[in-house]
Amino acid sequence: MRLFSRLRTVRQLLAHFAARERAMLLPLFVILLLAGVLLALTTGLAKVAPFVYTIF
Amino acid sequence: MSVILGVSGLYHDAAAALVVDGAIAIAIQEERLSRVKNDPSLPLRAIQASMEYAKITPADIDSVVFYEDPFAKLERTLVSTVRSFPRGRRHFSSAMEAQLGRKMWALDAIAEAVGVDRSRVTFTQHHRSHAVSAYYTSGYDDAAVLTVDGVGEEACTALWHGEAADLRLLAEQRYPHSLGMFYAAFTAYCGFRVNEGEQKLMGLSAYGVPRYRDEIDRTITIGADGSIELCLDYFDGFNDVELGFGPKLEALLGPRRAPGQPWTLEEAADRRFADVAATVQALTEEAILAMAREAKRRTGATALCLAGGVALNAVANARLTEVFERVYVHPAAGDAGGALGAALDAAGGSARSKLRSAALGLPVDAAEASSLARTLGLEVRRVADPAALVAEQLARGRVVAFVAGRDEWGPRALGQRSLLAPAGPAEVRAELHRTVKEREPFRPFAPAALAERAGELFDEVHEPTARFMTSVCRLKAVDPRLGAVVHVDGTARVQAVYEDSAPDLHRVLRSLHDSHGVDAILNTSLNAVGEPLCSTAMDAIAFYLAHPVDALVVEDLLITRDLGRT
Repeated sequence: MRLFSRLRTVRQLLAHFAARERAMLLPLFVILLLAGVLLALTTGLAKVAPFVYTIF
Repeated sequence: MSVILGVSGLYHDAAAALVVDGAIAIAIQEERLSRVKNDPSLPLRAIQASMEYAKITPADIDSVVFYEDPFAKLERTLVSTVRSFPRGRRHFSSAMEAQLGRKMWALDAIAEAVGVDRSRVTFTQHHRSHAVSAYYTSGYDDAAVLTVDGVGEEACTALWHGEAADLRLLAEQRYPHSLGMFYAAFTAYCGFRVNEGEQKLMGLSAYGVPRYRDEIDRTITIGADGSIELCLDYFDGFNDVELGFGPKLEALLGPRRAPGQPWTLEEAADRRFADVAATVQALTEEAILAMAREAKRRTGATALCLAGGVALNAVANARLTEVFERVYVHPAAGDAGGALGAALDAAGGSARSKLRSAALGLPVDAAEASSLARTLGLEVRRVADPAALVAEQLARGRVVAFVAGRDEWGPRALGQRSLLAPAGPAEVRAELHRTVKEREPFRPFAPAALAERAGELFDEVHEPTARFMTSVCRLKAVDPRLGAVVHVDGTARVQAVYEDSAPDLHRVLRSLHDSHGVDAILNTSLNAVGEPLCSTAMDAIAFYLAHPVDALVVEDLLITRDLGRT
């Protein structure tokens, strides 16, 4: 149930970034989404964020 | 039955508001329950308390509306952080942690807290929440609406036109050119905490001379149409979220003031900051007036509604009547008000109704107060006419903690959770500063006056703003009866007390007038240093025990350390 509810949020987020004027942000967003998943798995982004940052 | 829950939070001023069948049932700020000032969390306590008060179960709720778009906010944070590369490096990890760890999942967290299916949780836009909170509660049928704050999703300022049930966006100013962030940056520069110290900067400005105009003009350009453009170099691209300004501003104006140092405005060092505050306040007023003139030009309306954090600048608000005949500022103009705006927006245009009282919170429990006070060894007496008793105490120069009915929506004590004192002796002000409020000596106290008499003491007392203490008025003439409540520039943030806005306080003022010929008293918030306004009986008794206040009145109970004194 909780996972299903979170999928709705992910879907809304994708829909937001998929809008035409934001399409250029999509790659950036996908990487950030992966960071979000990592966050969920590692229970904190503090250790992950610096690595994500170096990508840019 | 239609039930809509509005929620704001995850930045500052978390709040919940319930609108039932188009009427406001309850609106509470999370800080009142968590006891964390400007609580930035999700308002889980406020949500639960609202539902309990209104006897609403999760199954009764038709929709839950969050006050802003978390996805658009994520986008803005992401883009602005990448834009500011490499300066924003330090900010990046904390911003992304907040966005991806909590804020992006706000709607899920709310659904779980309320106990409703996620499909029933939606969101609206930050500035629309503000605009609705102001327009729908103004009682106007045709009004320009300005929403001015730090930043919402992307907009920092927005202009709307409200006509009957229709509220249309006409123009907006986008991040980073934000009047709210401009004011906040100078708040930090003068040593105050951002999102809390802006009122201090406003109070300080009256002590200064706007002699830094040439310098500060380099940081901001104000267009004739109310648009503003910040020179971001001085604000370091807003990369430092604690300060909002950078080394270039210090190079321009001199070093910033260290936070927490005692103020001595007799010395040149502190007068410099008063002069900076005066200049920033003057520019802010100029910008708001330009926005108002543009709003008038584009809408043709004679009334203006205002919300957003900048709308708490009572000194600037007072000037808006130069442009509009009627001005209304929502009492919870900051982000808390967004919760109510979100709920009213979902309820639709039929939910428009003039807000007459800010007493929208939880009622005080007098039985709990009595029981708790007795347990703590305090003396408790039920009185037949509490208004006459409080009036008598004030006439004798006493300070009374006054708790009546439901607590206030918004940051001002408006006669439900108030600390009352005589308005006359200037030493009362110094004594309250020293022993109770423990705050900067330049901060003014506000008067509460009988609505029907306020116009005899002050100029330009306008009902919509004076009702909720959202503007300042100038004293008609130097009056020793008002020595404790008039600021150094001869103004006061007057509360005109109406029978339908604060009936208990109105009775106190009526009794003072009839028995003692007094028309105004000092009214300040009932809270300890660094704490939010008291809400419950326990909060009020804890305040009373910790401060040298003569009496505590909770509904019809007189609570004292020694009844013999009263």
